[in-house]
Amino acid sequence: MPASGSSSGRAVWAILRKECRSEWRTRYGLNAALLFAVTSLASTSFAVGRMSDRPDVLAALLWVVLLFAALASLAHTFVRETEGHTMVLMRLVASPTAIAMGKLIFNLLFLVSIELVTLPLFLAFMGAPPPRWGALLAILALANVALAAAATLVAAVIAQTRGRGALFAGVSFPVLLPVLAAAVSGTRAQWSGAPVGAELRLLAAYAVALLAASLLLYDHLWEDA
Amino acid sequence: MEARALTHRYGHRPVLDQLSFAFQGPGVVAVRGPNGSGKSTLIRVLAGLLRTSGGETTLHVDGRATPSRNRQRWIGYAGPDLSFYPEFTALENLTFAAEARGLARPAERSRERLEKVGLAARGGERVHALSSGMAQRLRLAFALLDDPPLLLLDEPGNHLDDEGRQALATLIREEGTRRLVMIATNDEREGALAGQRVELGTRGLGDPA
Repeated sequence: MPASGSSSGRAVWAILRKECRSEWRTRYGLNAALLFAVTSLASTSFAVGRMSDRPDVLAALLWVVLLFAALASLAHTFVRETEGHTMVLMRLVASPTAIAMGKLIFNLLFLVSIELVTLPLFLAFMGAPPPRWGALLAILALANVALAAAATLVAAVIAQTRGRGALFAGVSFPVLLPVLAAAVSGTRAQWSGAPVGAELRLLAAYAVALLAASLLLYDHLWEDA
Repeated sequence: MEARALTHRYGHRPVLDQLSFAFQGPGVVAVRGPNGSGKSTLIRVLAGLLRTSGGETTLHVDGRATPSRNRQRWIGYAGPDLSFYPEFTALENLTFAAEARGLARPAERSRERLEKVGLAARGGERVHALSSGMAQRLRLAFALLDDPPLLLLDEPGNHLDDEGRQALATLIREEGTRRLVMIATNDEREGALAGQRVELGTRGLGDPA
């Protein structure tokens, strides 16, 4: 017989575990993301050497590497379900909100995994000055939430359209721009010794707004998948 | 299961036109009609997978109407559009579905359902290695996972061999004594299991109204 409404949390947890297991078995996004991160950092390092006196360039470079390493996988969160024809199964076992929340949390974990590898390599390859860890980790955490929420939302919306690749790039650019701008600015400020409060507030507000919009929208998606 | 003035169009082409019925379980209902007459569309509408162009459907359980947005929680569905994760085994797919639905004993329940459809020996194989017939049995096991009040089976005999079809007939007979089973089929053997019918035979193959 049907379970009670309290099963939403269990559905999110089941979907998160399914996503992790699927990624572990297929290595759909992880290998490509790590390859991109390592090769882009290595080639930039060989070309321009260490840039410890350019926190502005370092900040931009860090976020370009992180964003592009993760973006391909984030964009495919729902496309994999559509192209594998498994969206019907998903819709039969969980609510749209539970599906999206499970995938959002997976995207968040995916971003953190990429950063755990990329950040130490970045600091080593690019000769970046020692970061103010508290400020940098706060910026990374809030930017991760905003990036994961934005990418999941856009991926969910475009999953059933034709020309998804082009659409994701076009639709996600304006949504991701405020996150990138605030993250780059905050990262530069923490290396320059400037306060990062304004950037943290902006990232937090944007993350909350994206999460709220997501929760409102997800229930209306995929009605005719 | 009640439908009132159910209408569905693909573009300008009507597939379901002012269709009304009410069936009470337990029992077996066959949805019949030529290709393109809307059998699968009707099953998908009843399952809550497709929004209708007009009319409404209501599922009553224990005398109370269930919320239409939550329809999936009250039905068991097996149709050709239901696919599983190829990188997971049959058992892992069912266990995931049971966990996501918040069912008790998900792994044990999944094993029981695989056994019921004759797939217990292949439950440890990844779905990409299963034949079409085995995949169809897995769909049936999925439909039975939740002991739902309403079973919706779209062409359930697809890809099954003679032995599988006999097992399916037994399963439909058994389930029809416990719950309402609706089958979209053109197979006479499956149709003969039904005590009641919905005929969609007035138009087929996209014949315009």
